[in-house]
Order: sequence, then C-alpha cells, then structure tokens
Amino acid sequence: MPDVENERRETSPAIVEQTVAPASSAASPAEFTPRPAVKTGRSIVLTSGKGGVGKTTTTANLGTALADAGHSVVVVDADVGLRNLDVVLGLENRVSKHLLDVIEGKCTLDEALVRDRVRRNLQLLPAAQNREKDDVPEDKMADLVRQLRERFDFVLIDCPAGIEQGFRNAVVGAQEAVVVTTPEVSAVRDADRIVGLLPQEIVIKLVVNRVRPAMVRKGTMMSVADVNAILRLDLIGVVPDEREIIIATNRGTPVIDIEGSETGAAFRRIARRLLGEDIPIPLFEDKSNFFTRFMTTLGVGRS
Amino acid sequence: MAGTSYVVTSGKGGVGKTTTTANVGCALATLGVQVVLVDADIGLRNLDLVLGLEKRIVFDVVDVAEGRCQPRQALIRDKRLDGLYLLPASQTKDKESIGEDQMRDVVGKLTKEFDVVLIDCPAGIEHGFRNAIAGADEAIIVTTPEVSAIRDADRILGMLGTRRTQLIVNRVRTEMVKTGDMLGVDDVAEILGRDVLGVVPDDEEIIDTTNRGEPVVLDPSRRLSKTYIAIARRLLGENVPLPSFDDDGLFGRLRRLMIGTR
Repeated sequence: MPDVENERRETSPAIVEQTVAPASSAASPAEFTPRPAVKTGRSIVLTSGKGGVGKTTTTANLGTALADAGHSVVVVDADVGLRNLDVVLGLENRVSKHLLDVIEGKCTLDEALVRDRVRRNLQLLPAAQNREKDDVPEDKMADLVRQLRERFDFVLIDCPAGIEQGFRNAVVGAQEAVVVTTPEVSAVRDADRIVGLLPQEIVIKLVVNRVRPAMVRKGTMMSVADVNAILRLDLIGVVPDEREIIIATNRGTPVIDIEGSETGAAFRRIARRLLGEDIPIPLFEDKSNFFTRFMTTLGVGRS
Repeated sequence: MAGTSYVVTSGKGGVGKTTTTANVGCALATLGVQVVLVDADIGLRNLDLVLGLEKRIVFDVVDVAEGRCQPRQALIRDKRLDGLYLLPASQTKDKESIGEDQMRDVVGKLTKEFDVVLIDCPAGIEHGFRNAIAGADEAIIVTTPEVSAIRDADRILGMLGTRRTQLIVNRVRTEMVKTGDMLGVDDVAEILGRDVLGVVPDDEEIIDTTNRGEPVVLDPSRRLSKTYIAIARRLLGENVPLPSFDDDGLFGRLRRLMIGTR
C-alpha cells in the first residue's frame, strides 16, 4: 500500500498534463524537455455508484475517440464476473486471457490484451467472467495500472456498479475519475455517495448522460444545472439520449462511428476536453429549477 | 401460513430493479396483499426515494439484523396504500456489515408477518447480491432487451440455484423490435430459458414518477399502472395473458382487437 501512495504523489495532475499534452499545443515548454524512456500515461476510472447509467458505453466511446486523436489507449474492464466492455467493443470472440491471468502471472500482459479491429492503437484488457471481484488484490491492481501507464497514453478503467471490492479495485490505480450520472434522483444520489468514497487526491470530472432535452423542457427531467447544483463537480460533458446508442451497443460498434449521431458527437467532444481543449458544453438547458428545490428538500444535496 | 419471499435481481445495474420492486409492491398492496419491500442495497439505497419515504427512515435493515431493534420498529408504513411497508437499507454502512445468515433470519421473520416479501437486490454479484438472495424463496430477474443486460442475467441465473425464477423484460421499445433493432420478448425468454412474468414497455413517464417518489401504479390513469397490476396478479398465480409487444403482423393485431390483451 505505501507504494501506491508514493506513486500518486509523484504523478500529480499537473505533471500528467505536460507529458501527454495534446499535439496541438506544441509550443509548450514540455517540447524542449527530453521525452522520458517510458510513458507516464493518465489513468482514469469511469465510475457512477449506480449501475446502468452508461459507464461501459462511455469507456468504450472515450477510448475510441482518444485513439482517433492519435493516442495509445487501453480500456480495462474491472467488472470481474460481469464483464461487458468486450461486447460493447465487439471483441468478445477475441478474448482468451484476462486481467486476473495477468495479475496471477498465468500470462503476460501482451497475451491478455485484445487489439481493436479498426483502431490499432486501442486495446482491451478484459475481465475474468468466471471469477470474483474478491479474487483481485488491490495492491496488485495498482501495480497493473502502473505498468499499463508505462505503455499507454491513456488507461481507462471501467468500474463495476456498487461500492464493494470491485469499486475499490477499479479506483486504486486511478489518478483521475470521470463520474457518470443521469438526470435521475437515484443516480445523482449514488454519484454523490461515490464522490465521498473517492480518494482525496483524485481529480474528479462529471459526465451527465442520457439527457432528454424534450423532457427537460417539459420540466419532467432534471436539467444539467439541477444535477450539478447538487454534485458541484467539474462538468466535462453532457450526452443526449438517443436510440442509436442501444443499436450501437448491441452491435458492438461505438456510437461515435455512427454518422450524424448527437450522442457520438458528444463523446468526441468529451475526449477533446480530456485532452485539454476548451470547447463549450451544450447543456440542453431549461430555466426550471423545480428539481433543485425538490432535491434539496430531500436532503440529497450538499449543505 | 408463511408468506413467500422474492428477490428482484438482474446482475447488471440500472435495468429497473428498484422501480420494479416499488411498483410490483404497490400493485400487490392495491390487490389487498400484505407486502414488505426490503432494500438490500446497503450503502447505495434508493428504494426509499422511489417510494417517496426517505424522510421517515429511523432504523434500517442493519439495525434489525444486528438486533438493535425489532423488525416492526424499522418498518415504514406507506400511508397511501394499506398493507405496504418498507424496510430501508442503511446508507452509511457497507454491504459486508451483515452476513447471509443474518439476512436469512430477517427475511424469515418478515415472511411470518407478510404475504409477500420483495427484496430489492443491489447490482453486481458481490456480498450485497449474496445477502439479498440468501433469504429468498424465489427470484424475479429484471432484464432489458440488450445484449449486456441479458448476458449478466444469464450469469445471475447460474447463481440462483434451484429457486423458481421468472423474468420481467423491462424497457421494451415496440417500434425498435419491429425494425429489428431490438430483441423481442420471445428472444429474451428463449435465451434465458425462463417464464416471462411481465413485459414493461419503455415509457418516459417512469422517469418522472420515479424522480417524484410516486410509483406509477398509484395513478390508475398512467399507462404503466395496468402493466404492473397484471404482473402482480400473475405473481399471485392468476392466469393473466401477456400482452404481445412483438410484431405479430395483421393476424396478431386482429386477434388482439378481438380477444383483448389483458
């Protein structure tokens, strides 16, 4: 455990920003410092507390978009026993070894990694399906993520639902967290709970998923402003709800590849913001703040 | 005579376990059944919010399990419906804080006093899942017609042992089934090899009612109200035919017109 602490301290977010700065900001001083022999990639956990809010879909799409931007990316399925990232990426038939095999020394990292069919710089580290989350020791998981950061620009960790051992394993190696939520009372409450369980030093960003603009306008759904009035996190993206996402997920193609998809475009913008670009976030805004007041009376918000 | 305990489970999160538990519970109560809903999602409770009972929590399931109070003291009576009670989860404890034996004991006590005990299971297959299923006589698997949800449901089936298990297929979009963009109910039932207890169409009104803490069953004018009442009737052993959501062509539409769906 002490190793983990040291590792976190030496890679503060500021340093991370420099080492994997987007190609567009070439004029930064980082250009003149010699490139380190090994990479120091960014490790980001995608988490939510509540299940079914879109962690796996977000992981797959951000991974794909970051790969398209020219970065080497590994997406890690930390949902041991209930893996799905392989299905969402359409790689389920290519999985042979998994994360626990690597941790237990039964195979090398290269043997377990599955390369994406289209993007050669995107790889998947699958979860074991017939094992349990308690089989993964936290320190070994931290070591594994550290190893991955030496080889990839981005390590995206798909966290399981809940706050048990699976959550702790997914979070242990992460320097940054993207909290995914939907504009629903229960999802926001769980997100609020999870933020309290994340380590102090982790950098937290928020994605509000499945926003239905028509419902927000009618006042039957919380707006993004309502959600973030409660969570008060650094908003990095808003993703509208579309039927395309169900089709894409079932077919194993990322929605960002579907032409004209608003959802896909939103994920691409989130990837660019992760890379440091300052682009505006469409909020699908509505003036009503009924839910804010409502949630505050429920005691869900922060005092 | 002892009541029956059902665990409402899914493997995958966010498919509608809590909403289903709340609405089937309300539907059972409207039919005059004495029902208690148990929130087994310790640390991430939400059933209280969906029922609109969050402000009335004093004791919780961990208090009962550890003998700090009697089950009766922890139960919250729903004032809108006679015979509907909630045993809330603790929000500050974690799932490892109680064991399977304790949970079995709590559920055992509840089945002595209620006709039906519905246990809202947390997502995943960790301690919380094992606790939730420990005391359950039967299981209700909630799934959606999506590959990942069905895969997780299939995984869960193997862990439920010999319990009788029925399916609720949630969030079905008829128009997508027709265009071949979504699996039909029959497909889901065939893959999982279990009987279908109910089919719930995807409907925006569920988001609104859930956020407001007013289960959709409480308003008979709502479209989904009848759907959940039908599920409750089937759970009680009545023979209520399933509405057809799959495209069965002109003949099917005619048949439904002539015979009716419910």
